[in-house]
Amino acid sequence: MNTFRRSGALVVLLCAGSLAAAEKPRIDVQELTLANGMRFLLFERHESPTVAAGWLAHVGSVNEREGITGISHLFEHMMFKGTKTIGTRDIQADLRIIDEQEKIQEEMRREMDLMREKLRRGEIDDVQKPESWTPRYRELQKRFEELVAQQRQIIIKDQLDQIYTKNGGENLNAGTTEDFTLYFIRLPSNRLELWAWLESDRLLNPVFREFYSERDVVFEERRMRTESTPLGKYDEAFNALFWEAHPYKWPVVGWPSDIPSISKAEADAYFATYYAPNNLTGVIVGDVKVAEVRPLLERYFGRIPRGPKDPPPVVTLEPRQLGEKRYNAEAETSPTVRIAWHGVPFVHRDFSVLDVLTDVLSGRTGRLYKGLVVGKQLANEVSASVDSKKYAGAIELAAVVKDGKEPAAAEQALYDELERLKNEPVPAEELQKVKNQAKANAYRRLSSPFSIAVQLLSYDGLGDWRYINTYADQVDAVTAADLQRAARQYFTRETRTVGVFLRKEGAPAEDPEVAALPPEAQAMVKQNLQRILAETDPAKLREGIARMQAAAAQAPAEMRAAVDLIVKRAQQRLAALESGKK
Amino acid sequence: MTATRLALAAAVATGLALPAAAQPIPDHPDKLAFRPIDFTVPRASDYRVTLRNGMVAYAAEDRTLPLVNISILIRTGSYLEPPGKEGLAALTGSLIRRGGTKSLTAEQLDEKLDFLAAQASTGIGDTQGSAGLNCLSDNLDESLRIFVEMLKEPRFQEDRLALAKEQILQEMKKRNDDAADIERREWNVLLYGEKHLTNRFSTAASISSITRDDLVAFHRKWFHPGSMIAAVSGAFDRPEMIRRLEAAFAAWPGARPVVPPVPSEIAPAAPGLYRIEKDVPQGRVSLGLPTVKRDDPDIYALEVMNEILGGSGFTSRITRTVRSNEGLAYSAGSGIRFGIYYPGVFRAAFQSKSRTVTYALQLVLEEIRKMREGQVTEEELDTIKKNLIETLPSTFASKAQTVAVFASDEFTGRDPSFWPRYRERIAAVTAADVQRVAQKDLDPSKLAVLVVGNQKEIDLGDGAHAVRLEELAPQHQVKVLPLRDPLTMKMP
Repeated sequence: MNTFRRSGALVVLLCAGSLAAAEKPRIDVQELTLANGMRFLLFERHESPTVAAGWLAHVGSVNEREGITGISHLFEHMMFKGTKTIGTRDIQADLRIIDEQEKIQEEMRREMDLMREKLRRGEIDDVQKPESWTPRYRELQKRFEELVAQQRQIIIKDQLDQIYTKNGGENLNAGTTEDFTLYFIRLPSNRLELWAWLESDRLLNPVFREFYSERDVVFEERRMRTESTPLGKYDEAFNALFWEAHPYKWPVVGWPSDIPSISKAEADAYFATYYAPNNLTGVIVGDVKVAEVRPLLERYFGRIPRGPKDPPPVVTLEPRQLGEKRYNAEAETSPTVRIAWHGVPFVHRDFSVLDVLTDVLSGRTGRLYKGLVVGKQLANEVSASVDSKKYAGAIELAAVVKDGKEPAAAEQALYDELERLKNEPVPAEELQKVKNQAKANAYRRLSSPFSIAVQLLSYDGLGDWRYINTYADQVDAVTAADLQRAARQYFTRETRTVGVFLRKEGAPAEDPEVAALPPEAQAMVKQNLQRILAETDPAKLREGIARMQAAAAQAPAEMRAAVDLIVKRAQQRLAALESGKK
Repeated sequence: MTATRLALAAAVATGLALPAAAQPIPDHPDKLAFRPIDFTVPRASDYRVTLRNGMVAYAAEDRTLPLVNISILIRTGSYLEPPGKEGLAALTGSLIRRGGTKSLTAEQLDEKLDFLAAQASTGIGDTQGSAGLNCLSDNLDESLRIFVEMLKEPRFQEDRLALAKEQILQEMKKRNDDAADIERREWNVLLYGEKHLTNRFSTAASISSITRDDLVAFHRKWFHPGSMIAAVSGAFDRPEMIRRLEAAFAAWPGARPVVPPVPSEIAPAAPGLYRIEKDVPQGRVSLGLPTVKRDDPDIYALEVMNEILGGSGFTSRITRTVRSNEGLAYSAGSGIRFGIYYPGVFRAAFQSKSRTVTYALQLVLEEIRKMREGQVTEEELDTIKKNLIETLPSTFASKAQTVAVFASDEFTGRDPSFWPRYRERIAAVTAADVQRVAQKDLDPSKLAVLVVGNQKEIDLGDGAHAVRLEELAPQHQVKVLPLRDPLTMKMP
């Protein structure tokens, strides 16, 4: 059964038998704007009795400033902490405790000022370490913990998640980027009203309880994604070098000094400005009837008052870069060259030109693979990508350099490919290949209601949801002359930032048991352990163990542990030899 | 299917009766009422067809988009590699796509597929091979012809093999770069043993020894339509598509191979605490043990048990305690996987800053203990059972997913009553069942606990909780594991 014919919603639907990719990949999205300014994008799709629903706040790290970097993302977490109805057994007592908690936190912030002063004087090295904390700070923290314990008696933990879970919700999640924050879920289609209830409630009556433990969670997220991965910190530093003035220069997750300093008062002000309905877009895609959805949305989301004024615009423009910037680092990764140039915002008329340009360079039939991997054999992996955000963009090329080859040679080879794009028009067939792929991909993007919903929100957050329908046409309109012009215009020497990463060999794994010994014993022990590992004759090992055990009795107390470790390792080695391992 | 769809359409149409303004908003979401959804699980036999050459296909017409999707599972795997040739299966799988065909060089094959905007992929994992094609329906014939030629007569071009080997050798050096990779690898060794088929590590020596002849032989030995199960969906006429598949996969050289069964033995490490040094600010912890296979009647109770313990995000106990209450981790929870050929795994895991690793581990162990000592609440049980039951339609959300599920089920020999009876079996799980399986299959003295991180920092603790990491070691066994040499995979 053709599910689209019934709804009449999709332009690609055609009668059976005459399906043709010659048609346009286009979907008939209905728009709805409520009186309070909240917009909705609605699209019916009926292959499964489910609905993908979500909404987006047009706010991200681009709207932050130094000192509160990471607040947009922290906010995303706070939106799961409940409301006046959801998440509490006694809202009055709950609010009273939150007030008291704030008073203590205010004092803790003053104490933290003193600790930062000590840091500037060099008396401590990290304000986050427990041993750096002043007695007063510890005392306040203890009192704060007591209030948290009191509050735990009356809150219903993570009730939003529980209600959705019980009602067949899946993929409940949220995400924050430089430009927007989005919240989404998939539900059985009969639960749409539940979604409207819970989402409008958390926009209308949010209570940011457990603010400070959630701030710790966010810091753990930063540790996980940025600080404990081989390249996280380097990517962050490279990005901060690339942007000079634009607020895109700080990480979405926030600087480590800022996250623990954000106060609930700052968060409240942020919510009032950026989570007003006139700054929000909702989306519903799935097995519902648009005509029935409209009154539901009016009823639930229409009750949220419009914000007193629209959020302030982002005015900072990136100044034109005047000279090449370079970043040289050693990291635990394969040798890599990455080069970034300044591009264009998402809605810019050149966005699709740059998109096609990087498509010509990408993939196994792209120019970089043919040129650097198969041809000159300088790289094992190559990539080219456009990253166009709402207010500005970047274009990036990268190559993982083959062992034994010079990164400088790979870098030059990347420039050579760009020179060719500047000097010769891209042949018609090569351009057509890219356009064919764009068209097929435009259909592939429409393959699930959930991904359609997330794309509609994301494109809206970047400036225009209609991109889901215009993508293939925009790509189709790009000419060889456009590509040549854009290559000359954007890939200039003075506007590039070059990162060269060399492999830092991980420090040789330290044997923790050896490291625990007194320093004067360590060298002797290491020498002995090497000999033991090299020994293949069990008889000799047995002899050695007996000798050492005799010696252990006479060893001075401080050397006992060292001798014991040698004996233990020798016994392990012996056991391994005798069990037939090596 | 058609009947279900019509029923749904009717339910939707009769939905809202009152004018919007007349309906007040209830003061609590519990007061909302929902019309029922009548979902019938699709039947595998409605899609199944056996081709003359022995190949089985699940085919479904779906004209939502002008695309065709073909996914094929092949009976092969790295467990069939000759000793000393570790990495051969994966290389063969990748080079079938990357190394050209009888009539096309690697360059020509790539160019043709890219110009057609057809996505083709091949790979061989531990216990199965896979091949996929996604193309526009208006060039299905040409795309399919190239795709089948690739599977049938791959060229394994020498220069592409040399390049792939070079890429693998460079990638190999990264094996100890990321703490997450170290944890994943060593956890699996603890769980199943060094010699298990999932722990056959390629080494610089094994990769270097692999020649084109090895690939040709491996492919010839295992690739045959009689060993394949296909899932096919998209914009086509079904009988016509079946005729296409018949023609495309006809006249295959060689006989259908006799594929040895996947070994079922495992050799788990002794219970205990295993520590690996890696200088990162956050410790990574995995703890758990082997669990039952998929044919065990307790899998429903175990699934519910895991969801309540740590498998359902914020609704589960571990996430609530470690993340939501204490702010000790971003990621904390548990998962359970039931084995197909050998026992599955229960694993709880979290990442926390070095100083709070010990305290967080203590909390997780405490949650496991509580799961065994007391019964879960009716509210917890009800929430999880409703979720598992209500989300079943998502497994069959599209035709492509539906045929993929059936193809995989037949490939792995899943009990055909699994999907039709899934909801009633979940509904039958009681709080007593949950406690019983926790007691039977979650014995804390049998756990392996793996901690990867800065061990000195971890031992310093958070200053507020007195417990030391080694006190939490199951059976009081503590072992320090050195990092393997990334190129030989030997431990020093």
